[in-house]
Amino acid sequence: MPKNITRRELFSRTGAYGGSAIIALQFPRALDAAERSTDRLVLSATEWQTVEAITARIIPTDEDPGAMEAGCVNFIDKALANEDEALRAQYEAGVLGIDTVSQTRFKKSFVDLNVDEQDTVLASLESGVATGWPTGPVGSEQFFSTVRNHTVFGFLADPKYGGNRAYVGWRVLGYPGSRHRSGGYTVEQMRGEADIVTSWGGKLPR
Amino acid sequence: MAGRDECDVCVIGTGAGGGVMIKELSEAGFSVVALERGPLLTPSDFTDDELGVVVRREIFGDQLETSRIDDQSPTQIGRINGSVYCVGGTITHWSAWSWRFRPEEFRIRSVEGPIAGASLADWPISYDDMEPFYEKAEWEFGVSGDAEANRFGPPRKRAYPNPPHPIKKSSQSFVNGAEKLGYHPFHGPTAINSRAYRGRPQCSYGGTCAFFGCPIHAKATSLSVCIPKALASGNLDLRPNAMVHQITIGADGRARSVRYLDEAGAGHEVFARQVVVSGGAFGSPHLLLNSTSPSFPDGLANSSGLVGKNLTLHLFPLLQYLVDEPTLGMTGINLTVAVDDLHDSDSKRGFIRGGVFGEATTSTPISHAMNAYGFPNLKQMWGRGFKDYLRTFPRQVAMIGFLEDLPVETNRVDLDPDVKDGHGLPVPRITHKQHANDLAMMSWYTDRMREIGEAAGAVDSWVPDAPFTNLTEKKAMPGAAGHFHGTCRMGDNPKSSVVDRWCRSHDVKNLWVVDGSFFPTSGGYNPTLTILANAYRVANHFIAEAKRLNL
Repeated sequence: MPKNITRRELFSRTGAYGGSAIIALQFPRALDAAERSTDRLVLSATEWQTVEAITARIIPTDEDPGAMEAGCVNFIDKALANEDEALRAQYEAGVLGIDTVSQTRFKKSFVDLNVDEQDTVLASLESGVATGWPTGPVGSEQFFSTVRNHTVFGFLADPKYGGNRAYVGWRVLGYPGSRHRSGGYTVEQMRGEADIVTSWGGKLPR
Repeated sequence: MAGRDECDVCVIGTGAGGGVMIKELSEAGFSVVALERGPLLTPSDFTDDELGVVVRREIFGDQLETSRIDDQSPTQIGRINGSVYCVGGTITHWSAWSWRFRPEEFRIRSVEGPIAGASLADWPISYDDMEPFYEKAEWEFGVSGDAEANRFGPPRKRAYPNPPHPIKKSSQSFVNGAEKLGYHPFHGPTAINSRAYRGRPQCSYGGTCAFFGCPIHAKATSLSVCIPKALASGNLDLRPNAMVHQITIGADGRARSVRYLDEAGAGHEVFARQVVVSGGAFGSPHLLLNSTSPSFPDGLANSSGLVGKNLTLHLFPLLQYLVDEPTLGMTGINLTVAVDDLHDSDSKRGFIRGGVFGEATTSTPISHAMNAYGFPNLKQMWGRGFKDYLRTFPRQVAMIGFLEDLPVETNRVDLDPDVKDGHGLPVPRITHKQHANDLAMMSWYTDRMREIGEAAGAVDSWVPDAPFTNLTEKKAMPGAAGHFHGTCRMGDNPKSSVVDRWCRSHDVKNLWVVDGSFFPTSGGYNPTLTILANAYRVANHFIAEAKRLNL
């Protein structure tokens, strides 16, 4: 017969900020190791360069940092090593595909194109009209959409996943950071009558 | 171990309805076995990690299901329902707006007359039947609010137990716009502690209530309110990770046992004198339809043929607007100030019914990125323009409405004939097409919300229309499935309803359904307080009937 949960057990697991999660959940996660490590786990050196160049066009660097500075490619590498292992094949096919399209159109690899040429190639992938995209199980729209969403996640998810390095994504948005476990906000802060200090150190405009 | 695994009451599902039954019945002295398909989580699991909790659903579980718009359209594999699978159920991630339905929302068929293409029905119970239990639910769950401020609210005997929450800057923007147009904005009643209450702390205003669990239990949920008391009674045997797949029927025509699989996939059987089903309006009909037997070849308790039918999914009109100063919408509770002036039917609008709406500004970064879809003049969801959009986060205000969609008999949950889960069981298939009344209502309310944004000084406004649910999965159909009801309709007539006025099956006398499935119509308010109040009402009746030896 299954083990019963007692009240004592429930409360031993409870408590406002109660330490680590005691029950083991099912997630293998990139977690904190990813934040510290930029070692390549899954992507080859070439794939890393190409994917990084794509992310840099999805959230470009301007007067504010972009996907490059946030380390979105590192986020993707760690995700492919863990939660999104199933998407590995898409990246393999996609990097080959985007280079084939770049060669067909501009006689160069994607990373060697200028930014306008890169945008042209990406737009053709997104709309599914990329001349030279290899026939196969991975469509260009699908690959584009995967990298696009991954880049957004890498820019905006908690830094523990290996992106949003030094909170640059949150800084670009003006999101002060997670507050649940650091005391929340005061009524004065909610009303704009007191400063909100952000995760990256500065104050939020109010 | 020798002997059968047996109990007085087996409750399947531990969410809003199940949690109340578990608590009330175990405190009344019944031996209760509660089966929950998800794990037991605690506040320390409830992080504000948006990627893990909301996008990847790492702690709240997943469900394989299929959906289609109507019988002629293609079926897609993918999930549309927003249920949470853990001890405490879907109420774990609610925003906690806690409304009483208005008296006429219990008798729509009488008030509105017949509507072509809709299966309107009166509830067999009235607001007066529910009133004492609304009050009980409000006090058990510590609802904060200002009963005087809502001039449109139904009659009540007692104030809310806690004062309203403070107004944040983004709410004030909405209030200013609404007041300019002559509306009467007020604090939506919210089951989040505005002060310490019954052993749970005051809210810390961290900004992640909707779609997250509360890390300090300031938010009232089944897990924070009902389950601890039930365990304290000593009469609850709580079994997480127990996936129920069948309710069996005895030769006497009564439910006999409940079969489930544990985490390792091993089968178990609990013999129960009473069986309470509370798997949500998707899960409950799915279980009943999977529970076939010679006496119920079309699914348990389904002599009416209505199990799974009349699925209603609230309409959620959305409107975002930008102002030219910071709004600090990432702070505080997520659903705040309401406008309820436009709730009642008005024949001039060209549709019937209505609902409530209010301020609900997006508080987290990835959701903000998703709201880019629909932003004025943004053609491409990447590149410089997209990045410019991302930078608007601090200046956003958002609204959401909760509108009464009409029941349609062919909108339903049934068993997918082709797709099976890992155990070989047919998965739920959702068929849902919005009624013309729903479409007209969505459009009309969206226009009213846009006017409020303009009156509040919006420099831009738009309807976010990401082609995804859960941020990455392609939307299978228009609309959303955050509020779901109707699939085990309540009524007095066994031919036109699944359960009676006490949420007891017409066909199987010891079988009860206490989640949102029983709603004959969906109402124009968030449904959870009504699910809670109804469960208190049903539990009260259950205990009285037990004393009369009438179960």
